[in-house]
Amino acid sequence: MAGGGAPVPEGGGRGGKKKRPLDAVINVVPAIDLLACTISFLLFTAVWTQISRLQVQTGGAGGPASVDEKRQIQVTVTLGERGMTLTTSAGASTEIPALGKSPEGQPVQDLKALAQKLKQVKSEYPDQASVTVAAEDGILYVDLVRVIDTAVGAGLPAVSVTAAG
Amino acid sequence: MGGKMQHGRMSVNADLNVVPMVDMMTMLVIFLLMQFSATGEILYMQKDIKLPDAQHGQTIETAPVVAISASQIIVSGQKVAEVAEVERGEDFSIAGLEERLRDEKKRWDFIHQNDPDREKNWKGDVNIQADQKVPFRILKRVMYTAGQAGYFNVNFATLDQSNVAALAKSD
Repeated sequence: MAGGGAPVPEGGGRGGKKKRPLDAVINVVPAIDLLACTISFLLFTAVWTQISRLQVQTGGAGGPASVDEKRQIQVTVTLGERGMTLTTSAGASTEIPALGKSPEGQPVQDLKALAQKLKQVKSEYPDQASVTVAAEDGILYVDLVRVIDTAVGAGLPAVSVTAAG
Repeated sequence: MGGKMQHGRMSVNADLNVVPMVDMMTMLVIFLLMQFSATGEILYMQKDIKLPDAQHGQTIETAPVVAISASQIIVSGQKVAEVAEVERGEDFSIAGLEERLRDEKKRWDFIHQNDPDREKNWKGDVNIQADQKVPFRILKRVMYTAGQAGYFNVNFATLDQSNVAALAKSD
């Protein structure tokens, strides 16, 4: 960094024999200090796990206040030990059986099938935004969250959660 | 020193090339600034609570946090009930939790006492940070109690996997 550069004759004087380099040395030490402090601060305050939220309403209040009956229907996903049941106020009822049991004895829900069925409902009723998830007592939080996430992903963001039965 | 070994003196000072180091530090600062998030101030990860993943979650907002682990229920860092007691209890509402949430609501009312649109601005948001294996029979009691205390908008805390989903889609 220091030294080098093309020497140029100094103007004026007697003969102008003395030469001075054009290069200037920039003192980067303060910049390094600043960067080191910033890195330390950011490392101390860094949040490595990003937390998000899935908003739900309690007690089946997920639908909009004024429901146009022709354009929207009541969609309910009942989440149980044996699987899921998707029912609509239009009279459709679809069983989505569980794929099996996890090593802990919990049912493994078929979320892909649920997503397909919900997308089908959404394509039939494009204005539909609400869905009610009715869960049995033994259902784990992780399964409930996955079903809600699937519903939101299928274009039904107004989810309400209630107890089944 | 003398004879054939005598040479011109070498300078002791050596210039260090710090440019690559400055480059590296600048990159690090940019990465950390992009990674920076304030959500950790709302929810703190706890050792005994493992959150489920979700791909369609929204950004978390400031609201009272009800943390449910396998053994206890905590509101804003204060224990309000034991999970085993809640399971045994016949009452659907959890007294300690309701009292604590009502206190939180009173505090909100006090802070917004000069706000003419106070009732309109009240959203009734509560964040539930539950362990993956908490059963719904506990969760429904917590949700019912929150509703009793005036908190109807429940936000389930999840680990954000939207970036992972976006990457998978692009592949």
